[in-house]
Amino acid sequence: MNGLLGGWLAALAGSFLYPVIKLLFPPTPEPDQVVLPLADYGSVDPGSVKMFSWGSKPGLLKKADDGEMTAFVGVCTHLDCNVTYLPDQKKFFCACHDGWYDENGVNIAGPPPKPLRRLIVAIEGESLIIKKEGTA
Amino acid sequence: MNLGPVGRVLREWFEERLGLGAVMDFLSHKTVSQNRHTIWTYTGSIILLFFALQVVTGIILTFYYQPTLEEANASVGRIMTQVPLGWILRSVHSWSATFMIAFVFIHLLSIWIIKSYRRPRELTWMSGALLLALTLFFGFTGYLLPWDDLSLAATKVGTDIPRSIPVVGAWVTRFLRGGEDVSADTLTRFFSFHVCILPLLLLAFLAAHVFLIQKHGMSLPVGADEEREAGQALPFWPNFVLREMTVWLVLFGALMTLAVLFPPSLGKSADLMAPAPEGIKPEWYFLFLFQTLKIFPAKILFVNGDTVAVLLILFAGVLFFFLPLIDNRPAERKGKMITVAAFALLAYAVAMSVWSLMG
Repeated sequence: MNGLLGGWLAALAGSFLYPVIKLLFPPTPEPDQVVLPLADYGSVDPGSVKMFSWGSKPGLLKKADDGEMTAFVGVCTHLDCNVTYLPDQKKFFCACHDGWYDENGVNIAGPPPKPLRRLIVAIEGESLIIKKEGTA
Repeated sequence: MNLGPVGRVLREWFEERLGLGAVMDFLSHKTVSQNRHTIWTYTGSIILLFFALQVVTGIILTFYYQPTLEEANASVGRIMTQVPLGWILRSVHSWSATFMIAFVFIHLLSIWIIKSYRRPRELTWMSGALLLALTLFFGFTGYLLPWDDLSLAATKVGTDIPRSIPVVGAWVTRFLRGGEDVSADTLTRFFSFHVCILPLLLLAFLAAHVFLIQKHGMSLPVGADEEREAGQALPFWPNFVLREMTVWLVLFGALMTLAVLFPPSLGKSADLMAPAPEGIKPEWYFLFLFQTLKIFPAKILFVNGDTVAVLLILFAGVLFFFLPLIDNRPAERKGKMITVAAFALLAYAVAMSVWSLMG
């Protein structure tokens, strides 16, 4: 009898708490893809980087010297600061704790534990499509 | 006191309903011991002075401050340039925070070293440890509100640190930020913490802390002669209170001087997409933690270095909270080691802060 009552009370408490928890920890889904106009982003100079919005994070579109385009989430894998690209050194740099990545986004110096997150770049007609890895 | 017939009637009317005579009676019998450690008993009321200033200036600042992405930085700018005396209000709020936190550190170190937390004052220490955590969180949330590029970067780093705690870390970060990333929701959340949740919590724990201090009276140093101490004790009212007020006046003067001469700066409005500015530093009271995190390598034996650092800091916090229970033989060797630990912690914090400022 007590078990029944307790279980019922727990279920009731859960049904009240669930929406409260949902409210306190709002989900912020990442975009599956962003579509950018090729006219603006395709004309980036080789060896430089152009920023776009990846949800609420900065995305960095990089054009290699041979014209190949790659994209990264421009957020340091150490403690979430926004990184910047230094074209003359061909490195990504995070000013917060002196973190360095090479031009392929691989962590090479300082505290970052992982490479920058890569995104997939595809050209479709007049658009540049940038997708999460694994959603090809 | 001669109040005349009307005053007497009024006093009796209120006394019958409130019974404040008992409180006045308590205060008139309260004493403060006079010995070479008495100076540290001033630090508690000094913290209260600065807290009161924070409440008053903070409330007035909320009349003009607007916690939105578009207006946060601009409204602080208007407070600094257009609101009559607004610049001095913000400057006092900022400096008073620094003074309050500095005296919180002095207060807790002096209590640690004199061992005033001995039985039966363990809960007084623990309520104080929670007040310390609330005070630091006050500082952390307040730092974001001007919404300039330095405060944004500091908040991104600060709210990302809990993420390295196993299991619950990611939830803590999401709770603090109101989502995965620092955004407009983080600003409103921090504003709500800073002006609503933290003040309520702080007042509740402060009431418990002050009640416990009144209940147990002032602690005497280890090995003190109780009779001799009682013989030379000072009445709390009015003798000690008047001395405290003198100290308040001097510190208030120092605070106003610094606030007038060195008002806090305001950077340009933060851009969520911009690269982090160079040379970000947290407020001075977080520098030693900031530097501790910085010197940890990325990996320690296949474990994330930050995780190790954060877990060590959390473990130190737990030890700190339970210090009175750990220090259960204050007069013996163990007690002396714990006193030395207080000085070691102080030396560590100062050294790390200086290193951080130089580096």
